Amino acid sequence: MKLTVITPSGVLYNEDVDYIVVSSKNNGDFAVLENHAPIISTIDVGYIKMVKEQSHLFTVIINGVLEQQDNFINVIAQEAHVGLNKESAMDHLNQVRHERLEENRQRTMDFLKAERELKKSIREAQASKR
Amino acid sequence: MGSMREIKQRINATDKTSQITKAMHMVSASKLKKAERNIVNFRPLTKRLTASLARVMESDRDIKHPIFESREVEKTVYIIISSDRGLAGPYNASVFKAFQTYVEKHHESSDEFAVAALGYKAFSFARRKKYELLNKEVIQVRDDVQFLDFQAVSDDFIKGYLAGKYDKIVVFYNKFVNTMNQQAKYQTIMPLDKSPFIEVKPKDDLQKYKRMYHYEPSAQSVLSQLLPMVVVNVLFGMILEAKASEHAARMTAMKSATDNAKDLIRDLKLHYNRARQNAITIELTDIIGGANAVN
Repeated sequence: MKLTVITPSGVLYNEDVDYIVVSSKNNGDFAVLENHAPIISTIDVGYIKMVKEQSHLFTVIINGVLEQQDNFINVIAQEAHVGLNKESAMDHLNQVRHERLEENRQRTMDFLKAERELKKSIREAQASKR
Repeated sequence: MGSMREIKQRINATDKTSQITKAMHMVSASKLKKAERNIVNFRPLTKRLTASLARVMESDRDIKHPIFESREVEKTVYIIISSDRGLAGPYNASVFKAFQTYVEKHHESSDEFAVAALGYKAFSFARRKKYELLNKEVIQVRDDVQFLDFQAVSDDFIKGYLAGKYDKIVVFYNKFVNTMNQQAKYQTIMPLDKSPFIEVKPKDDLQKYKRMYHYEPSAQSVLSQLLPMVVVNVLFGMILEAKASEHAARMTAMKSATDNAKDLIRDLKLHYNRARQNAITIELTDIIGGANAVN
């Protein structure tokens, strides 16, 4: 079976797998084996366990759609991360999200501060009157 | 024209400004390339999501969902996509102008709509005009913009729409035509237009099979998750496009600023040389006059 995971920044994962286990908060768990009937499901917060021979990987997903037909599995995710186990991958994704939001907040604050200072120095320099 | 020293000072000042604008032009050019790459990377997702939705629609033509249903409009949400910083030529002004013209034409009072401002310029514009704002804080549109950055506000208006608080959602943004040309446009993203998903015929070998999908857990719940994703995706695509437009607009503006500075410097140099020659002539007549007086 072929599995493709796509995120806004491009193709995240594109490999052959033996079978997958899909787990999500809204729909619970199910597995998709080879020659499964066409299926569509969604993932709000969850993961996909991808099994190939004896090894397996986890892709954690936030807001995604999974579609399988004719042994092509198509996963579309707004945010996703591949890891060796689900906890570490989820932690990583959450950490990245948290850092990003924190950084955004900081940037906004810095930006507003800089904007205020700029306005102040323009006023003080009386640039418009020269 | 002033004295030689004044002209010299102006030449120096203009030269320094032109160096800055030239640097900004080059920075924007490289950022534009990056923004274009982001658009290209985003395309596969849009394509597959559209195809997925099309296949779901294909299996059930009469599928119904509030996101598809247009209803009596009482309250509209306008999303304005702008930049965080200025110096981008008419980039922000043209979107605001398009927005105001539209609003004046379609609404009698500002109670009939709310604004979601993406980017600092749009935020301060909406605050200045005293529109009702969906986001209480500035949402910066970063160069490496991600879903997460505006997720809070997009969840807000999608939930508001489904709850019946808002009846229509329109986005104002700059469409990227090419480097020299960006157009201020608007597009309704909710209610979602059904037709593009019905017309799409996925061109793969699977076409010949009659598709019978299992929905896990049900068609309606799959659709409830899929459709907001499609809406947010459309919005994200517009943001990426607006980002490319911003860099292109800034690039063009900075290019013309640099060119203007060059023209100005050429004129000033002419004046400077004239003044210099004048000074030399005066000096010479002084010397000759002095020499004549001695003799």
